Amino acid sequence: MRNLVIKQARLGIQNLLPSLISVLLACVVTTFILLLGGYSPVAAFTNLFAGAFGNPYRLSETFVKAIPIAVIALGTSVAFRAQLWNIGGNSQYTVGAIVAVAVNIYLDLPPLLLFLLSFLAALLAGLLFGSLLGLMKAKLNANEVITTLMFDYIVAFLLSWLVYGPMMDPEGGGFPQTALIPDAVMFHKLLAGTRLHTGLFVALVLVILLYLFWKTPQGLTINMVGHSKSVAKASGINVSKTIVFTMALSAAFAALAGWIDALGIHGRLQDNLPGTLGSVAIVVALLGRLHPIGIAFSAIFFSALMVGGNTMQRFAGIPFSLVTIIQGLVIIFVICGSVFEIAHSRKQGGSHDA
Amino acid sequence: MGEAILQMKGISKFFGDMAANDNVNFSLEKGTVHGLLGENGAGKTTLMNVLFGLLKPDGGTIFIEGNPVTIHSPAQAMELGIGMVHQHFMLVPTMTVTENVMLGLHLPKFPLLNPSLVKQRINELSQQFALDVDPDALISQLSVGQQQRVEIITALYHETTILILDEPTAVLTPDEAKELFVILRTLKAHGTSVVLISHKLEEIIAIADEVTVLRNGELVGFTKIDKEVTRKEDLSAMMVGREVSFDFKKQKGTSMHEVLSVRELCVNNERGVQALDHMTFTVRRGEILAIAGVDGNGQKELCEVLTGLRQPGSGAITLNGNDITQASPKQINELNVAYVPEDRQKSGLIMDWDISKNLVLKNFRKKPFTKGLFLSKKEMDEAAEQAVEAFKIKTDQVSTLVKNLSGGNQQKVILARELATDPDLLIVSHPTRGLDIGAMEYVRSILIAKRNAGVGVLLVSADLEEIFQTADRILVIYNGRVMGIVNPDVGIQKVGQMMAGITTGEAHA
Ligand SMILES: Nc1ncnc2c1ncn2[C@@H]1O[C@H](COP(=O)(O)OP(=O)(O)OP(=O)(O)O)[C@@H](O)[C@H]1O
Ligand SMILES: [Mg+2]
Repeated sequence: MRNLVIKQARLGIQNLLPSLISVLLACVVTTFILLLGGYSPVAAFTNLFAGAFGNPYRLSETFVKAIPIAVIALGTSVAFRAQLWNIGGNSQYTVGAIVAVAVNIYLDLPPLLLFLLSFLAALLAGLLFGSLLGLMKAKLNANEVITTLMFDYIVAFLLSWLVYGPMMDPEGGGFPQTALIPDAVMFHKLLAGTRLHTGLFVALVLVILLYLFWKTPQGLTINMVGHSKSVAKASGINVSKTIVFTMALSAAFAALAGWIDALGIHGRLQDNLPGTLGSVAIVVALLGRLHPIGIAFSAIFFSALMVGGNTMQRFAGIPFSLVTIIQGLVIIFVICGSVFEIAHSRKQGGSHDA
Repeated sequence: MGEAILQMKGISKFFGDMAANDNVNFSLEKGTVHGLLGENGAGKTTLMNVLFGLLKPDGGTIFIEGNPVTIHSPAQAMELGIGMVHQHFMLVPTMTVTENVMLGLHLPKFPLLNPSLVKQRINELSQQFALDVDPDALISQLSVGQQQRVEIITALYHETTILILDEPTAVLTPDEAKELFVILRTLKAHGTSVVLISHKLEEIIAIADEVTVLRNGELVGFTKIDKEVTRKEDLSAMMVGREVSFDFKKQKGTSMHEVLSVRELCVNNERGVQALDHMTFTVRRGEILAIAGVDGNGQKELCEVLTGLRQPGSGAITLNGNDITQASPKQINELNVAYVPEDRQKSGLIMDWDISKNLVLKNFRKKPFTKGLFLSKKEMDEAAEQAVEAFKIKTDQVSTLVKNLSGGNQQKVILARELATDPDLLIVSHPTRGLDIGAMEYVRSILIAKRNAGVGVLLVSADLEEIFQTADRILVIYNGRVMGIVNPDVGIQKVGQMMAGITTGEAHA
């Protein structure tokens, strides 16, 4: 038994190490790029760090941004564990936000009821949207990379159409945005003068819930389908159903991220609401090694990069595109890392006879 | 003879703190076939992987023709004249023989190989050693035996003086095995030395000149083989440390209650060709019905249909009175059917998971493995400890990943899972393939015990010895058709003929 415990602990570090190395390598390469560009790496990194964590306001902004990234990434990780490449975090986030805002601006109910109802509506919308994607995969064998990508466009245009058309705020002077959600429904601010809101706790609860979910039989089933569909099938698992369920769950997380942001910071719909959240979430999920706790930390890391990057640009005169470069490098190293790992495990186990 | 082409001295290899090889000495003489024996997990594959540069030894030296060498990679091993055929073929089915040989050569990318030269060499080798391989054929069109010869060609491609074959006959039919031995004798005559890993002792006696026996990673024996004198029992005693007996006690009298009934079953394979042709048979409670046949005569499709993994074309299947013709694997599972599939790596095990989890693939949702909402790791591990104990799965902990187990021990994990429950119907496909003789005895005794306890057993096997030791009735399958259902007392020869498609009238039981 002691043996088992040690092995587990070791496994934990083993799992962490590749991500840390990826980040480190990305920083090293960035240093070289900075030197080549004639910038001071020290100034860049101190500004980046100070920009993300330097004072309570910046710190709060880092967390504000980390919330949707983490929650979408949780969803991404669910799908990835089943080897379903759901890359449509943006559209699923947007659907959640649209539904949340619609419930709040069109229904005339007490705030608490609106809050709960919009939560349920966003959750349901996410589940349904995900089920649709899952059904297309399971029944029609439509490649989920393509379908989720295409839906990103469809939903983005839908959002545009809504804010320029039917959902446009009639008293908003023609701005492409909806009316505001009643203040009483919105998440409370955690710190005066910042945008940090109680939605942070919702995100934390979701991290914990997903952590626990992986310890349930249904969680194991998803992992099993991810490892081998044929073994899962032979073991009496309904693979199609699992695919639909996995996509539903995955999209539900992103939709809830939309709900949290709608009620936490935006308060209304605007064009291009999600920005690059969906793609950042993919990297965050991978860097977090598809583990809920890992995702929480890597979300904070990426959010810090983005928030700190702004400061760096303003105070050290180093272009924000550096942040994009670091992001890109992290992606490259994460991917190289997994390829290396696969090759390594082949060498260890794959050539093993029988 | 007399001159050692290869010597491995004091080889040690540790995985964690377990010694897979512990100070092993191995010496191979020029132009001989050297049998490497040992129980599952004894360290045979490990020793050969060290020699082939796939594993780095933790100690010891390798000498080739007296010169010490360090082998870092298969490419280097091949340069030194060493070739290896792994038990699991590493061929790409959609590519031609020539392309696969090129892939298997572990060559650097540059300079580029000239396919026509490779083709020429294939033809040359093919002729020299009577391998009979068409360089332009697609792998997918070849039989298992032919595929193996492609692997052998790859292994022989460079001026190979040492050929390693890891359990080459496990997947071959008896005839294919005979052909392989002809090839080995030709190689021997050309001065090539062969290391042959096998669990089939009669084969070793028939072809090997010398044997080395490993147990628990240690060298426990070396002997020269004299076909006239050496007995199977001597070798198995060296391997297992005791005499192994295949005298099973069967209780008399099978019941007439039918567990499984198959009527006029027709099935197509994935290429749309008819794989099963109007098959009709029954399995009764407390009997072992063996399906005897050369591999590829519909056995795989039969197992898949019976377990819900494949849709039948026509016909009817009933299990204890329930129509399961269209049932899903899940439904069939719930009707108490256990299944040991033929391809353990593709349909039996999740190689990246540990032993504990692989043992509960089918029932992790049930108590005690799920308590309330959550899985109980403790219960899984405890059950796994017991299974490891009962089936003598060689590992130091139940959290070992299945991919790190030896081949035979992987097979034991599946058997432990499927035999743990008390099924109504047990379908086993080649259950002892790759198992050592002790494990083989154990598995067969379990099949008999299950039968005695009233389980209906459907045993698919190509091993006639296994069939005659265990079966109550034998169904011979040929080209997807029932050639006949006979009692074991018709004799091996008769069944062998039927397997080859030769009918001689009568034969029914
Ligand atoms: N990559 C690995 N990691 C950890 N343990 C390993 C690894 N490869 C082999 N082992 C262990 O080393 C021991 C020897 O394995 P090996 O494959 O050499 O056995 P074998 O004699 O070939 O058995 P079999 O007849 O079943 O093929 C086994 O207990 C196995 O679990
Ligand atoms: Mg082996």
